[in-house]
This record gives sequence, structure tokens and C-alpha cells, in this order.
Amino acid sequence: MLSEFSAIKGSSPGYWKLVALCALLFLVGVGSFFAIESYGHGITGMNNQVVWGMPHVFAISLLVMASGALNLGSMSTVFASIQFKQFTRFSAFLSIVLLIGGLTVLLLDLGRPDRMLLPMLYMNFRSMFTWNVFLYSGFFVLCLLYLWSMFDYKQFTKVVGSAAFAWRVILTTGTGSIFGVIHARDVFFSAITGPMFVAVSLTSGTALSTILLVGTYRKTGRYMEEKLVFGLRNALIFFTLLVGYMFVVEKFTKFYSPAFYEVETWLLVGPWAWLYWLGVWGCCVIFPLVILFHGRLGNTVQGVVAASVVTVVGVFAFVAHVLLAGQSYPFDMFPGYQLSSVFLDGASAHYVPSLVELGMGIGGIGLSALLFLLGIRFFRMLPAKAVAPEGWELPWSP
Amino acid sequence: MSSRRSLAVRMSVGLLLAMLLVLVGGFPGNLGADPPQPEKPKGGQCVRPAEWMRHNHMDFLKHNRTVAVREGKRVRSESLQKCAECHTSRERFCDRCHDYVAVEPDCFDCHIYPK
Amino acid sequence: MTMDRRSVLGLGGVLAAGVILAPGLRLIAAPEDVTEASDKRRWGMLIDTTQCNPACTACTQACRTENNVPLTGDPERDIHWIRKVELHSKDGGKPDRSLPVLCNHCEHPPCVHVCPTQASFIRKDGIVLVDMHRCIGCRYCMIACPYKARSLVYSTPSIPGTPNRKVPMRAKGVVEKCTFCVHRIDDGGQPACVEACQKEAKGGMLFGDLNDPQSEISQRLRQVLSTTIRPDLGLKPRVHYQGI
Repeated sequence: MLSEFSAIKGSSPGYWKLVALCALLFLVGVGSFFAIESYGHGITGMNNQVVWGMPHVFAISLLVMASGALNLGSMSTVFASIQFKQFTRFSAFLSIVLLIGGLTVLLLDLGRPDRMLLPMLYMNFRSMFTWNVFLYSGFFVLCLLYLWSMFDYKQFTKVVGSAAFAWRVILTTGTGSIFGVIHARDVFFSAITGPMFVAVSLTSGTALSTILLVGTYRKTGRYMEEKLVFGLRNALIFFTLLVGYMFVVEKFTKFYSPAFYEVETWLLVGPWAWLYWLGVWGCCVIFPLVILFHGRLGNTVQGVVAASVVTVVGVFAFVAHVLLAGQSYPFDMFPGYQLSSVFLDGASAHYVPSLVELGMGIGGIGLSALLFLLGIRFFRMLPAKAVAPEGWELPWSP
Repeated sequence: MSSRRSLAVRMSVGLLLAMLLVLVGGFPGNLGADPPQPEKPKGGQCVRPAEWMRHNHMDFLKHNRTVAVREGKRVRSESLQKCAECHTSRERFCDRCHDYVAVEPDCFDCHIYPK
Repeated sequence: MTMDRRSVLGLGGVLAAGVILAPGLRLIAAPEDVTEASDKRRWGMLIDTTQCNPACTACTQACRTENNVPLTGDPERDIHWIRKVELHSKDGGKPDRSLPVLCNHCEHPPCVHVCPTQASFIRKDGIVLVDMHRCIGCRYCMIACPYKARSLVYSTPSIPGTPNRKVPMRAKGVVEKCTFCVHRIDDGGQPACVEACQKEAKGGMLFGDLNDPQSEISQRLRQVLSTTIRPDLGLKPRVHYQGI
């Protein structure tokens, strides 16, 4: 029924050009890292108000997508969606490469990257960061075991895949909780911040998998049945609705309390409103749904890929909004007073990312892409022909 | 398959050559030169025997630093500030040896050696 | 570390007596050679905002001199251990105020909770410190602190002409903040800002041991109406404000 797995040939000039491009992006990242390392974070756009900038936006987006990339695997292994079984290797592998890319950026942006192993020596179990150290390394190991079991020990696939699924939910909740547990920040202090990250990981992971699958099959001249893409589309629609639901619940709860009128109004019409409406609502929810529900566009592969691209842009916008708007909103230290000071108290923070920051983030993407390209060339990650299993029919189409 | 293997072979050879180059390039040119003599201290007795200090000063300083910063226990006669009363010059005392053995402690990125 | 410490104590005590008498200081007894932070004490501060003049920067100036904190001229990346904040009543119902904001040395400091390496920690006497030797520069503490008490060192700072050699300078890439002038406290002194306020201004800053019911600060806190910044967060800050 399912066709054989095989590595892509990867001998065409196009393939090597792509590899070279990704390597170049990675080198740009390395160069940016050394620039920041030698001149200090002063050459970035970050400042004492906005202390986490573009590197974190890229890194966290990659980490959220890493968790989301496991969707196809989980849908098959845990939820028995047989049509995705052929993509489980690809799914686990994609998780690993995204994790590596994201973590590399995160670690290299430290003020003292030479001390990056200190959290292992002196653990503070109250810190969400320490939890995340365990969550990420655990996820990495589980994904590797999952992948290994699919290659050599099929009897363990079910149990390892299920563990990886549970882990990824906790993992992304942990990522979101880096922000969600911070009481000082009105913008992202919320119990729903963690689950919101999980929801966004579901959409963005599925979207990225769709893009890469369609792209890889097109470029290698392999056959992929359209029905499979539409299966992914249906999953993406469901996940996107979930994201919209989370966003509504969050805003509804906040706006119910007069205590949040000021900050929430600031979010909707303030300096970051464009990112909120265009990026968070537009790219994460509305634009993809409009395309996917469209009777004509939603039923073409191009339409699904376009919606997926928008969704992936959306995850970056979502993370950027949480981070940048969250840090820009001034602290209301003395309620009833308007504050001003040389340390810019009482004013919305100013932040314009610099090129080195973008370079570092893009370097992370380059690294992930490079590992992905090499992985599918040297390992049997993808079926030579992707066809829907017999008897499987698309349950619904717009 | 064969083309892939040949690629691996070529890559390995390249890597080996690169390593060899680094090894040769990094070979210390001053091998055989006499070790430098740090400046003789001014005062009489160090807080620990000199021979012990020679081997353990790094752990000693690190331990004192941890105790002072984290536990708030200050032993003033053994603080870094005190060292300078006898070892008057960081350049002629600390750096001379550290440069020779190529260790770069970052103490003095922040601490100002008293003059 | 099995070496004998006692043999050097006598000598050290004598030496220590010689270095501590900085000019202009109130005469305080020379510290013992060995002192240790006591878990019986809880250092705190009371700031009387009615005494604070918007034009006065004695406390912030003193802090910069004492702790070698330079001004780089880049307001977005300058390091501030203590800063003056101007308060303007939004509805005009309350008088405008000017007051210093510094690290509040909370009983439940969120910076310490989130620090992945325990570089931020609470000393036995309640002072919240950053162990610069251990800080990896992740800045999570800056996200968590509701007082903006912390600054990242964005570039290698210039060393002032006559630095205070008793306080370390800084290297780029770590986070730093007010230490309550821990080096002075250990020598039996007061934070530089408090001292400057008492000498050069109206003396609106009071520093002392909150655990000692007889201390001046404890007595004043019982007598006057005071508040802390954002008491709703439950952090139990130890910098109290009077007059707002």
C-alpha cells in the first residue's frame, strides 16, 4: 500500500545551490553572533526596556514550530490518521532540525554565551528557563528515539510517539509560560498564554510541514497525491479555529476587568496595534481561514500552500507581538500618576531591530534548513511516492 | 553509491589536512624559552605558604570570592585588594605567568587591581 | 581549604583599621577582619517623598561615583542603579512628586525566581544581589522585575578617571543593579545614596534594619503612613515610600 521510503537524490545543481544558500544564511548568523560577541549587545536594537528582540522572536518561533512539526507524526501514531503515517519520519526529523536551529539562536544571544553551560551546574528549579532546559533536551531525545524506532524498532513507535506527543504539549506550554508566569507584565501574564502557544504551534507546525512536503515533492519530481494536501488543509483549518478561539477568550477575559482597560486599549490602538491586527489576527487566523474556506482557492494546492505561508508568518508575528508589545508597555508603578524619568519610565519603549539581530535569527533558519536538506538527502525520510491509503477518503472540502 | 563514498573520502581527507594545518600553525614558537619570573613580592609572609599558593591560588581566590559574594563572609586580610599590597603590579606579577602559560582569567575585566 | 586562617587574623585586623577611614565619613569603628552577613537582619529603606526635590540628584550622583556606574549618553542603554522618577497626578488630585526608584530588595524577588543559574540570589540579610561571575546574560530577570531595577551592560564601558577601587567595574553582557552598597553595609556603613541625601539634601532617605524594632526605620514605619511600589504583586518590597 505505502511506497518505499527513499532518500532524495540531491545531485542536481539546484539542490546544491539551495544547500549553499542555506549555508550562507547560517554563516550570516555566525558572523552576526561574532559581531555581537565582540561589540556587545549595544549594536543590536535591544535596550534596557526591550531586552529580548529579534533573536528571541526567531528562536522562539522556531521552537514553537519544532513542537508543531511533530503534528503529522502524532496524528498518525497517536490519533491513527493513517494517511499521515508515511510522513512520521519526516515529522520527527523536522522537529529535531527546528529545535536545533531555535536553541542555537537562543543560546548564542546570551550576553555571556561562554557561560551557556552554567544553568546545568547551578539549577534553579523555580525558573521556567530551567524547566525549559529539561523540556527541550527531553524533547530532543524523544524525537530521536521516535525517529530511530520508526527506522529500526517499529514495536516501540507507538509508545515513544505517544510520549513525544505528551511531551510536546508540556514543552510548548513551558515555552509560553516563560511569559505567562511573569506577573509584572500586564500584556502576557495569563494562564492562557501557555495554551495559546500550544495552539499556535499546532497551526504553524502543520503549515510548515505542508510547505516543505509540497515543495520537496515538487522539486524532486516525486508524486504526491493532492488528497493528502487537502487532508493537511482540514487539519490546518481546525487548528486555526482553535487559535482564534484562544485569542477571543484571552481578550474577552481581559476586557471584562476594568483593571485591564488601559493596557488592552493600548494593545488594540497603541504603537504595536498594526502587529496585533495584521500579524496576530490577520496572519494567524483571518487570512488563512479566508483562503482555506474559499471554495476555489481552498481546493487548490497553491491555495493551501499560500495559506500555510501566511500561517508561518503568523507564528513570527504572534511571538513578536507577545515579546515586543509585552516589553514595550510601561510599568504602572504608581497608579494615578503619570511617570517620567531619565530611564524612560512611563513611556512606551522604543525598539527598532538592527541588521545583526535579523542576521542571527536568519542564521537559525539557515541552520535548520541546511540540516533538513542534508537529512532528506542522506536518510530515508520520505516515501518515494506519497499516496493516500486505500479506502481513505477526504471527509470534507470547502 | 560509489560517488557518495568518494565524496565521504574526499571530505575526510580534507578534514585531516585542515587539522594538520591547524596543528602546525598552533605549534608554540617559544618552546624551550625559560619560564618568566614573576616579580618578587614586597612584604614578608603571604597569607598562605608561597609553594601552596603557586599551585592553589586560583581555587583560593575563587573560593574566597564565592564565600564573599554569596554568603556575605568577608575576610579582609585575604581579599583581592590585599594582594596588591605586596604584589604591587598586576602586569609584572599575574600577567607574566598567565601570558606564558596562555591562560586568560577574566578577573580584571571588572575588578580594578589596586595601585 | 584546610589552611589555618587564624594565623593571619591579627595582622589583617590592624591593616583593615587603616584603610577604612575615608575623609568626610562619620567616624565608624573599623570592621573586624572577618565579618559575615547575618540572617537576623533585614535591610530596608524608607523614602520620605515630601522631602525630595525634583531638581536634586544627590542620591543618583553619589551612586554613580560610589559604584563606578558610567553614563554612556545613550538613554535607552544607560545603566541605572537608582533613578529619579517624576510623578504627575493624572487628575490633579494629588501633589506632584519626585522620588528615587532603586532595587526594592523584595522578600519574594521575581528576578531570583526566574534566574536559571541562581546568579540572582538573596543574601542572608535579605539583600538581593547579582553574582556577576555566574550571570549568563539571559535577561529573564529584566523581564520579571516590575521596578525596572536592572540594566544590561550593552557595551564595554569606559572606566572613570578615578574609579572607586573597592567596587568592581563591569564587563559587557551581564545584568546588574543596586546592591544597597553591600560593601559599605559590611563595613558598618550606609548606602551611598542615603548618605548623600542626608548630607547634601533634606535627608528624605532612611536606611536600617527592619528586623530590629528599635531601629529608627522600624520606629518611623510604625508612626507614618507608608506604601511600597505595586504591593498588589505580593513581592513584599523593602523600599518603603512615605507621602504618596
